[in-house]
Amino acid sequence: MNNKTFAILALALALVPGFDAAAGSLENLERERAILVETMLAPDMPAQQRAEKIAQSRTRLVDLERMVLRDGSLAGKATPVVRSAFENYDLTFLVHAATEKNLAMADHWLEQIGLTTNALMSARVGRR
Amino acid sequence: MILALECSSTISRGRLARTAGALLALLLASTALAGAASASETGQPAWEPRVVERLVKLPGTHLKRAIDNDFAGSQLGGALVDTEGQIGGKLKSMAELQKAVERAEGEVRTELRHQFLAEKKDYIKLVGARLDLKRRQLKTSQRLYDALLKRMDQTGAGATPEQISVAAKQEEARRRFEKSLAEVDTRLFAADAARETKYGREHAKNMAAVEQLVQAIRQHPMSAGPELDGQPVSKQDYVRSLQAQTDADLALVDQEELILGHMAKLVALDAMALSEEIDAPESVADPDNRPGDVTRAVGLFITR
Repeated sequence: MNNKTFAILALALALVPGFDAAAGSLENLERERAILVETMLAPDMPAQQRAEKIAQSRTRLVDLERMVLRDGSLAGKATPVVRSAFENYDLTFLVHAATEKNLAMADHWLEQIGLTTNALMSARVGRR
Repeated sequence: MILALECSSTISRGRLARTAGALLALLLASTALAGAASASETGQPAWEPRVVERLVKLPGTHLKRAIDNDFAGSQLGGALVDTEGQIGGKLKSMAELQKAVERAEGEVRTELRHQFLAEKKDYIKLVGARLDLKRRQLKTSQRLYDALLKRMDQTGAGATPEQISVAAKQEEARRRFEKSLAEVDTRLFAADAARETKYGREHAKNMAAVEQLVQAIRQHPMSAGPELDGQPVSKQDYVRSLQAQTDADLALVDQEELILGHMAKLVALDAMALSEEIDAPESVADPDNRPGDVTRAVGLFITR
């Protein structure tokens, strides 16, 4: 895509009525958490870099989680995203739940999705 | 002179009889056509409320008040008040006429009875008009409440089961967060592993202020939610109870129309009785001295 096409596309998007790039607090939290999980699972990242990125994510996530918990506009909103977010506190509010249980964020997240040490150790290859 | 007086008396009785007959015919015609007349009238006073976003968002108790105020300011509301005022005045004049009829005698009494019947007819017509206006008000209210409920379902102003479930989960999450906040803060920030950002602090301060204001609004007496029999109910349930009340009022209007029908029948019968009374005198007055009695002339024929 050349520069001219890109500029036309950007202008067209800006002029389309109702086009709104602003996201709610929950969407911001989901995005930041997705970045954290991607960082945790990145296979080629050096350990030092991974630790730094996770620390930065944690700082942002603390604020975002508190914003979501105090966001009055989400009260009673029965959309699938909101319903799913509040159905599982431990997965949504990762930093607070992990700190509550005194676990590292990665450990807490893996535990929540069922990837515990015992489960991995007792896994074996076989036919169903 | 006596003959002249008799003639004028006969003429006035005849005029009265014709008037009573005309009254009777008019009464029967107006009673029979009452329904058709009111249905075919155009240019009647109107009330056309609309369901706007502001009405949907009003608290339950204010909703009813807003609707009542809107009706009171409409043409239909004004017409209803005027009609009720006229009915009150008509009742007073009918009561006075009734007393006058009891005191009067002879021709004056007949004339007063005739006036009384005319007043009753006007009263029935006024009450019929009032019931018609009342029915239109109630039908419009029914349509308004239906539209309001539909709009509430669309905007979620009332609590659906999913919303109640999500709200409960949010409350549970908030309680868990508040319970562990102090401990989490200690673990997060004590080891310098993470510092609360300036944005986080300011945001928390602002949110605390917002929560205090929201709490004050919730506790304000004017923002109390709707109640039924002392129990708090959702706005949708409150609007449904208003619908049920409107249906009950419509049933009462039907009953009042039935009563009015019976009144009209009674007035018609009274008019018939009055008409017969006025027509009857020449045929029954002094049966022993009728001019057409041939036996009165026998004496003239048997003497020479």
